[in-house]
Amino acid sequence: MSSTILRRACRKPYTILSRYQSISTLFQSPSIPKPQNHVSGFEFQSNNASGWFSSVSNKRLTFSCGSSLNNTLSFSTQAAVVPSTADGLTVDGIVANQWTILDESESDWKSHASAIAQSIRLIKKRLQWEKLKVRLEMLSIHMEKPDLWDDPVNAGRISREYGSLVGKMKTVNSLEQELIEHIDMIKLAHEEDDPELESESVKALLRMRQSVKEKELEALLAGEHDLCSCYIEVQAGAGGTESMDWAGMVMQMYKMWAQRHGYGVTVVDEMRGEIAGIKRATLRVDGEYAYGYAKAEVGAHRLVRISPFDSAKRRHTSFAAVAVTPILGDGSHHVQISESDLRIERYRSGGAGGQHANVTDSAVRITHIPTGITAACQNERSQHQNKASAMAVLQSRLDQREMARQAQMNAQYTQSLTDNSWGNQIRSYVLHPYRMVKDLRTNFEVSDPDSVLEGEIDDFILSFLTDSMDKENEA
Amino acid sequence: MNLSSLARASSLSTSLASRTLHRSIARRPISCFYSPPSINPKTPLFLRPPIFTATLSDLQKWQNWAKTLASSVGSSFTDSDNGPDSEILHRELNWLVQDALENPNPLFHMESKFETVMKLRVDLGDLYTLWKQRIETRRPFQYVVGCEHWRDLVLSVEEGVLIPRPETELIVDLVYDVVNKNVDLMGGLWVDLGTGSGAIAIGIGRVLGDGGRVIATDLSPVAVQVASFNVKRYNLQDKISVKQGSWFDPLTEFEGRVAGLVSNPPYIPSGHISGLQAEVGRHEPILALDGGEDGMSDLLHLCNGAALMLKSGGFFAFETNGEDQCRLFVDHMESVHKNSFYDLKIVPDFAGIQRFVTGIRL
Repeated sequence: MSSTILRRACRKPYTILSRYQSISTLFQSPSIPKPQNHVSGFEFQSNNASGWFSSVSNKRLTFSCGSSLNNTLSFSTQAAVVPSTADGLTVDGIVANQWTILDESESDWKSHASAIAQSIRLIKKRLQWEKLKVRLEMLSIHMEKPDLWDDPVNAGRISREYGSLVGKMKTVNSLEQELIEHIDMIKLAHEEDDPELESESVKALLRMRQSVKEKELEALLAGEHDLCSCYIEVQAGAGGTESMDWAGMVMQMYKMWAQRHGYGVTVVDEMRGEIAGIKRATLRVDGEYAYGYAKAEVGAHRLVRISPFDSAKRRHTSFAAVAVTPILGDGSHHVQISESDLRIERYRSGGAGGQHANVTDSAVRITHIPTGITAACQNERSQHQNKASAMAVLQSRLDQREMARQAQMNAQYTQSLTDNSWGNQIRSYVLHPYRMVKDLRTNFEVSDPDSVLEGEIDDFILSFLTDSMDKENEA
Repeated sequence: MNLSSLARASSLSTSLASRTLHRSIARRPISCFYSPPSINPKTPLFLRPPIFTATLSDLQKWQNWAKTLASSVGSSFTDSDNGPDSEILHRELNWLVQDALENPNPLFHMESKFETVMKLRVDLGDLYTLWKQRIETRRPFQYVVGCEHWRDLVLSVEEGVLIPRPETELIVDLVYDVVNKNVDLMGGLWVDLGTGSGAIAIGIGRVLGDGGRVIATDLSPVAVQVASFNVKRYNLQDKISVKQGSWFDPLTEFEGRVAGLVSNPPYIPSGHISGLQAEVGRHEPILALDGGEDGMSDLLHLCNGAALMLKSGGFFAFETNGEDQCRLFVDHMESVHKNSFYDLKIVPDFAGIQRFVTGIRL
């Protein structure tokens, strides 16, 4: 009887989860304890942990209910914490089985499951799973304190971090849950001799294998501001035209990289070199994780080549410095800018102005007097917009400065801060006498500088991010 | 002395007399240097339908040609009359592309295919003509694309209408600060004299409260048409009315009832007109630029009018040529209209030039 119900339910275009839920309700008896009682196994569980704990465990509960159709309805606290299949297989168990991972095109569920389990394990590692659990526990203690909101700024920060960690934990838990559900479904279909359902479930597993790859990458970008858009600022080092030309090439590299990723790219501020290239420029890169990736580019970039600007054809070494600042959303700024601290100037203006001049150039520079930090914009078509744009750059720089100051007070971050300082040489681009681009932090290298200069820098970025994550984990 | 006689005195005697003195051709009627007054203002390029097509490779040919032309200018315009240099012209070229194309992205991406068909808002041949006009006849970029980005607005402009200047944006900020401190002014009647494209009027219209109204006046029928078009485009026709006439002429019924008075009147001394940057001197309406022998005739006229028109507590802000005019203006107010105004201030623009005079009617 059960298989008929199952089949009927399965023909409806529902998700696997909802199928199970619909079935499980049939079997639910008053004797099933309320799910809330079952989540107490979470060591970091707190009373005010909002909805998701119970909703996740709820799914789990209904699932185990459905999956144990042919068995007795048994529940244990343990089962609610670590998801496992009807026959007791867990995600860690799958990893331990070391099933061979075949190409995606091979329709073998064990291969898919193994690949997914590996990915989940990597994601957990990247999220620093154990540390994350401890941190979450600590935050939930803070969240429970009755005087939490006496300091609204601090409370806001705590509840934001709490929400973000809970979100990460939820994502991973539901990945594990989903994997287990798929496997159960496949096994069930196999037992019930339903090839249609079985192949459908294997396909679902394959889709999961593909989507979980993206999550691996996202886990690498788990920093507080990684999701933000950002500014990339490039400045030519000493050495005149040759280094200005180099700065221009670096800028171009980032433009093309950003376009490849489908990011919005705007040159906010650009000061061209007299003969070639740029003295400095600020690029605004709009899109998800722009900051998370681009932050790997902070530092000095070195070029070695025969300079086209040297009539004696000598080999030159030049530098371009790259800075990256996140564009924080409204309400999460670290610095409140006071209008009276600002000096706003029209720059590159000359003559009487006003009705005397027809200008399409309305460049504006803003100086934050207390810090001396400046920001400029001349890309917009009105002065008003240039001013707004320069203000946004200034805000981002002041936020960055404040975050750096706070991080310095927080010993935990001191290491990464010194690594990422503006003056550190991070990468070498050699065009002569041999051709190679080498990252000095990771030793990752590529022998085709042209492709790198055309924006193919993802491998450099990923190797750096993975590398620095490993270092953090070791620390 | 009543208002209309003031207006006539100013517009006929000083400015016209000096204009004929300094120009070989008397520019009358003022409204039509390049085309007869149009019933409908020209549609800005970016608002026209994309009904033309060209292949990407043909467009790139045009773009390369246009770039070469822009580069050939170097700093020659800057050296001769403080005009734009190549870098600025290159930026304008990018903006022209943005306005003329429905989707300009393929032009800026290396991977695009040459045979891609691009949709244009103007015929490719006309693009050649437009850029040639920009470089060879120094036609202002804003007339080429038919619009000026001003504050957060995009305003239609065409020959016969002064292109609003970046400095003038600040008048709206000045008004914003004042009305946010004074509810009475926020809901009052504001007047923009010599509105041109309607820029200040629209800027103010957007910072006033629900009860606030703006009357914008201009002598030029083209300006009135263009300003009305812009007002409608921002859906402010219920708040802003545009009237044709000289300075205070269309406003006699509001004497003593005006909450705020703003203007960017002609203030260039007649003697400077012949040496102006080519984009300005050869293309923009002289009516909006020439302020008489010392550039002060219209400003002083406005000063006298402000005493009559403003209600007690009413605010004015006028743009001037710079420090000298600001001083003269304040001196005039303090001597001729003694005890009529208080809180007289001179406000600099972002380039540090003393640009605006503001004050409050006693």
